[in-house]
Amino acid sequence: MGRNIHCTYISEKINKIRWRPNPFNDPKQFVTGSWDNDENHIRLWEVKGFEEDTDINPFEINVLPFDGDVTELKCVNPDYLIATSNEGKVYLIKIATNITEEICLSHEIVWDDAHQGMPCTSFAVYDKDIATVGEDGRINLLSIMNKAPTRVIDDADSCTVNCVEFLKFNELITGNSRGQMKIWDLRADEEKASQIFMLSGDSIVAATCLAQHPTQRHLTAAGDEHGSITLWDLRQNTYPLNVMTSHTESVTEVQFHPDRPEHIFSCGQAGDVFHWSGIKQGACEESAWYTSTTNKYDIFMLMPQLHTTINSIDLNRDRLLCGSDNEAMYMIEGVNIYS
Amino acid sequence: MEDENLKTFLIPNDLCKSAGIAGTWMSGNKIGVFPYHNINHSSKDAPSQYTKNVPSSVFHVKHEVVLFHPILRRLVTESMGIFLNLQTVVENKPSDYKQHLQQFSVQYRSVIRASLENLRDEVLRATGEERETLQNFITIFYSVECIWHLCEILYIENIPGHVVIKHLLEWVRFHFPKYERKAAFLLSGESIGSLESRQDYWETVIGCLLQGRVEVVRALLSCHSAANSTHFKLADQILKSMPTYGVYEGVSVQEFNLRWKHWLVDTQSKIDSKLFISEKNLHLMMRLIVGEEMAWSEVQSQCEAWYELLAAWLFYTEPTVKSFELGAFAKRCISRMGTRMHHLDRVLLAAMEGDVQIIKEIQHMTENGWFVTHLMDLLYHCEQLEKWQTDKEDSLKLRHSFVFEYGNTLAGHKSLWQLGLNYLDHCFPDGLAAIELLLPRVPINDESKAHRVIQEAQKRGLSHIAHSVAKIEGLKSLRNDRMGNALVWALRSQDSNFASFLADKFLKKYVDTGILPNVDLLSYLGSCMMASDRLIFLGKYYQFNKLHKDKSYREAAKALVSLIASKFTPKFFWSTLLSEALTLLECDELLLSSNDVFNLLNAVEERLDCLCELDELEPLIRLGIARNLSRALTYEAQYT
Amino acid sequence: MFEAAEINAEHKDLIHDVAYDFYGNRMATCSSDQYVKVWDQIGNEKWTLTSSWKAHSGSVWKVTWAHPEFGQVLATCSFDRTAAVWEEIIGETPGPGERGTRHWVRRTNLVDSRTSVTDVKFGPKCLGLQLATCSADGIIRIYEAPDVMNLSQWTLQHEITCKLSCSCLSWNPSLTNNHPQMIAVGSDDNTAQTGKVFIFEYSENSRRWMKIETIITIMEPVHDISFAPNLGRSYHILAVATKDVKIINLTPIKDNSSIQSGLTKLDVQTVAQFTDHTCTVWRASWNVTGTVLATSGDDGCVRMFKMNYINSWKPVTVLKGDGAVIPNDAHRGSIASSTGVLTPPITQTASYNDSGSMVRNGVNYTLKPTNCPQHIPPRLFKRIRQSFNSI
Repeated sequence: MGRNIHCTYISEKINKIRWRPNPFNDPKQFVTGSWDNDENHIRLWEVKGFEEDTDINPFEINVLPFDGDVTELKCVNPDYLIATSNEGKVYLIKIATNITEEICLSHEIVWDDAHQGMPCTSFAVYDKDIATVGEDGRINLLSIMNKAPTRVIDDADSCTVNCVEFLKFNELITGNSRGQMKIWDLRADEEKASQIFMLSGDSIVAATCLAQHPTQRHLTAAGDEHGSITLWDLRQNTYPLNVMTSHTESVTEVQFHPDRPEHIFSCGQAGDVFHWSGIKQGACEESAWYTSTTNKYDIFMLMPQLHTTINSIDLNRDRLLCGSDNEAMYMIEGVNIYS
Repeated sequence: MEDENLKTFLIPNDLCKSAGIAGTWMSGNKIGVFPYHNINHSSKDAPSQYTKNVPSSVFHVKHEVVLFHPILRRLVTESMGIFLNLQTVVENKPSDYKQHLQQFSVQYRSVIRASLENLRDEVLRATGEERETLQNFITIFYSVECIWHLCEILYIENIPGHVVIKHLLEWVRFHFPKYERKAAFLLSGESIGSLESRQDYWETVIGCLLQGRVEVVRALLSCHSAANSTHFKLADQILKSMPTYGVYEGVSVQEFNLRWKHWLVDTQSKIDSKLFISEKNLHLMMRLIVGEEMAWSEVQSQCEAWYELLAAWLFYTEPTVKSFELGAFAKRCISRMGTRMHHLDRVLLAAMEGDVQIIKEIQHMTENGWFVTHLMDLLYHCEQLEKWQTDKEDSLKLRHSFVFEYGNTLAGHKSLWQLGLNYLDHCFPDGLAAIELLLPRVPINDESKAHRVIQEAQKRGLSHIAHSVAKIEGLKSLRNDRMGNALVWALRSQDSNFASFLADKFLKKYVDTGILPNVDLLSYLGSCMMASDRLIFLGKYYQFNKLHKDKSYREAAKALVSLIASKFTPKFFWSTLLSEALTLLECDELLLSSNDVFNLLNAVEERLDCLCELDELEPLIRLGIARNLSRALTYEAQYT
Repeated sequence: MFEAAEINAEHKDLIHDVAYDFYGNRMATCSSDQYVKVWDQIGNEKWTLTSSWKAHSGSVWKVTWAHPEFGQVLATCSFDRTAAVWEEIIGETPGPGERGTRHWVRRTNLVDSRTSVTDVKFGPKCLGLQLATCSADGIIRIYEAPDVMNLSQWTLQHEITCKLSCSCLSWNPSLTNNHPQMIAVGSDDNTAQTGKVFIFEYSENSRRWMKIETIITIMEPVHDISFAPNLGRSYHILAVATKDVKIINLTPIKDNSSIQSGLTKLDVQTVAQFTDHTCTVWRASWNVTGTVLATSGDDGCVRMFKMNYINSWKPVTVLKGDGAVIPNDAHRGSIASSTGVLTPPITQTASYNDSGSMVRNGVNYTLKPTNCPQHIPPRLFKRIRQSFNSI
């Protein structure tokens, strides 16, 4: 299995790593965002050598200095990405080719005061809309078309909001440091969550990350600081569908495979990356994750456990990117999602 | 008095010179230095003579750590993985762990190699000072690689019978690849014309011969236009028949020596018969392989370093030399070549002599201990270090001191702190004590970092640090007026005092504004409220408040009674609580039993002192109690 | 090599003390100009002055930070016979979205001393919030804030008379489970022919501080004293700045008399003595892990000492003030080494012949191929091998 893992050291801790979508082809470019360094950066990389079976070497195309830690990074479309900082700023960054044919990253919009100078922890994207959350408990609704925020919900949460996802264009789910999951109806005038439920009983277990099933958006996975991934069918959120507990420390990211959502991928603070396959014993793809009986899924460890936190993963087809605190990024090829 | 290693650094500041300086440690390897002149309480408190020299400055002086240079970070981060894997293997002690150790050694070397390749790429792009810096790194790490490789052969690799010549030759070829490259070029057929007409032909042949590449030599000779002549054929025959010692060839050293001596005599006789005299280079080669002193003197200038000569010479004269015999031979080679000893030469010699001096020499390499830490750790686990120390205990201490120092260096870095902890984990017991000091001092800018620090603490069973960090985060939230978040941190910190303090803040805010803040949090307190009495009160009060608001008066009344019975009501909150009780007492529906009312009355009597501030409330309460009591008694008399 | 960053301290007279907070991110300075200043590190090595106030009506001798668990808290002591506790507070937020201004308020003024207060130190945090002061008339006072969330209430818990003028004090930072609270006090008296370092211990039995040791080997005036952070050792290390630098090990001995009295008996051993400063030593400061001691003396040098693996102390580095300003950009001067740096060894350029990838840790690590022409391409090796086979 080790044969198709490629490792590149980049001399800064990687907090986020994301493929740059390519509308016509398999993506060959990706971005990284660093954290906990004296100077942080967003870097755009390109991978060479996919076609030949020789060594794969990502090389840096462009770099953008970044103030503070990159707390979240996502591509909105092939030309724009959004990054947030622990200094409370939100950046819309353009990837453009300049006159000398060089690809450059540049700031398009900066929302300076999105979180009152307190760390912005995460954001979600739905088409052109962005929802950002932070340690100030505020939820911002922004649009990449407009510098002025669409809506601001001040004091949305008493605690730090760690993660957010769009359920629909007008509905959000958030998870906080207390372990409360909240659903927000953005049509309502009221600045209150329409629903609150607990991630893990009434003990304090912070939600750390969220993921959305790409087609059945009521299906949500939430990672927590104790290493569990909880799956919910939000149409009936009294009980979780499943609690998956292979991570020994905090879950840092969780993701449904964008084309094969019967596969979930997650990484954790303990330096582990897991592949959860929900189609065991020929169950049909649609029903994957709905049956709450245990052992309904297979677990694969995609890489020998690292000694440092894996902060971020991103999947495209059978290629998985990982970014870790050991200042290395890994590309795993041939992730088994088709058999 | 001052030994030679003591270095003095100058701080360029006039006031520092005239007044003197003092220093206070900051964190990590930084020290704050400021102009200082002692004035004490017994002198007059008047402006000093130095006021004219203001402004005075504070200098933050730090030790420059080359390992923190971005290009060397890879070396630091990647080698940590190897180090930790090594420790795991050593702890589990599998039967083949010695073999593992050798693999680890190769892994370390390949990290050095990768860094060097990186450096070489970068140096081409760099200019000016940066280029110089990188050149300097290349010099350092080439030495590191060279020394490591030798130490691997001498101390780490398990070579049967300690017959090291093959390995030594490999080592030399590795670091002096010139001849091999040339030979490859010559043999590639890309050169035009006959090979021997090339100026470097014989130099290459002899160079390869010196590195023990007998087969390459034969290949080169076979390309000579005279290859079919008798003396060439004869030379080829001799080279082909030259016995080489291989452990796995089933030949004992004695047997080998016998064969070798025989071959030697045979070859010597052919030389003596002047069979090669027509081709002087061939003749020279034959004299070399039989170890003729004169011949070696002729070619030694072709060797760049004494150890290149050493390997060559031993291969033809002492092919079964043992690793521990190398020192004496090395010295002979050095004097033979008249080498001026540089640092690298001294380290290599010390390594061959198996001398403890090697540790000191390696320590003085200017790469901040990466090398000495990892190599000494490896040598310790190979049980080599104890051979240099008086006892095993000392070798353990020595190994610890390097790992400790290195871990400390990393732990003081903004970004590499976690790596530092991983090293400190492996020098018990000082390491854990240092972690206790260093971990809580990791600067925290946001909660995600706070969680990292907390988990690092909990992983090591240092819950007091986890609690302390949580408390500090709670205080920060409080400063930012985020009371709800502060409460969550207080609960994580298990500081009941702090939780009570915050609960009071919530209640006071309610007294002041009539609004209970952060209800989204309070409504889900659950068992967390058990953290402190005051928090239990807050949680129960919230329930009462909510029931009251929802007009569930009967349940509200029950909640009120248990609140009052709990005796947790803070002094400042009594009047608020009682005025809310009043609405229940005066409710049309009878909500409180006589028993409940008695309890209430008791509580009021007990806490009379809290009510005196609010004179107008007391009679109202008493009246309410009296009226409710009468209704309750009447009702109870009727229906029981 | 060392590198240095300069911060103009803006004091109008000599600085007496510089203290860094727990994380090394905030700096407090105090001076004869009666001011205290607080500096914050913003970003990498950039320091800005965030507060400056007249703290006393005399020279401010010392400034010290409390543990961050108690908030942002400073204590100062002065020639004006007082010690003070300061807390930084955030003012009422002036408007939505803006953060309030920060300023330092005096939480308490400790006026019990009738002479100059020469040193002030917070106790180890596991003792709650305690503060010790010592003064020129030889009295050590221990104050406590019973409610750590309320810094304006301090009670004087203990007064210990020392008879000799006190110049410095140090709490033993060892976690107190195994060790009772301990304070070392130094005296700069230069008349009495007695020991000048005293060790006090809090006796749980009598609820009083008791003197358990006078270090008689130190008869000269003592200017600074400092316990090293304890790395889990069974003994305590004390650095003393007097006419020279002394490092003293204090080892508690458990014997009958100590068990009976409930007081620790100490074995006192001077393990190192450095006359490198050649004259009076004024200050002694330990690094965070207590592995390096930095001392300052009348010779205008800061000297660093370090313990090696067989527990013997060695001088390692010297910093010295020098008038010559090295032309460089205003805030970053590199410091030249006056004895020269070790020249790195010169070695031949070498190169590996193997190329391609290596498998380590089950992961395929890709070695970057070099651009160097020295590599032998694999196909050439094949050729060589073929020619071997033909022989």
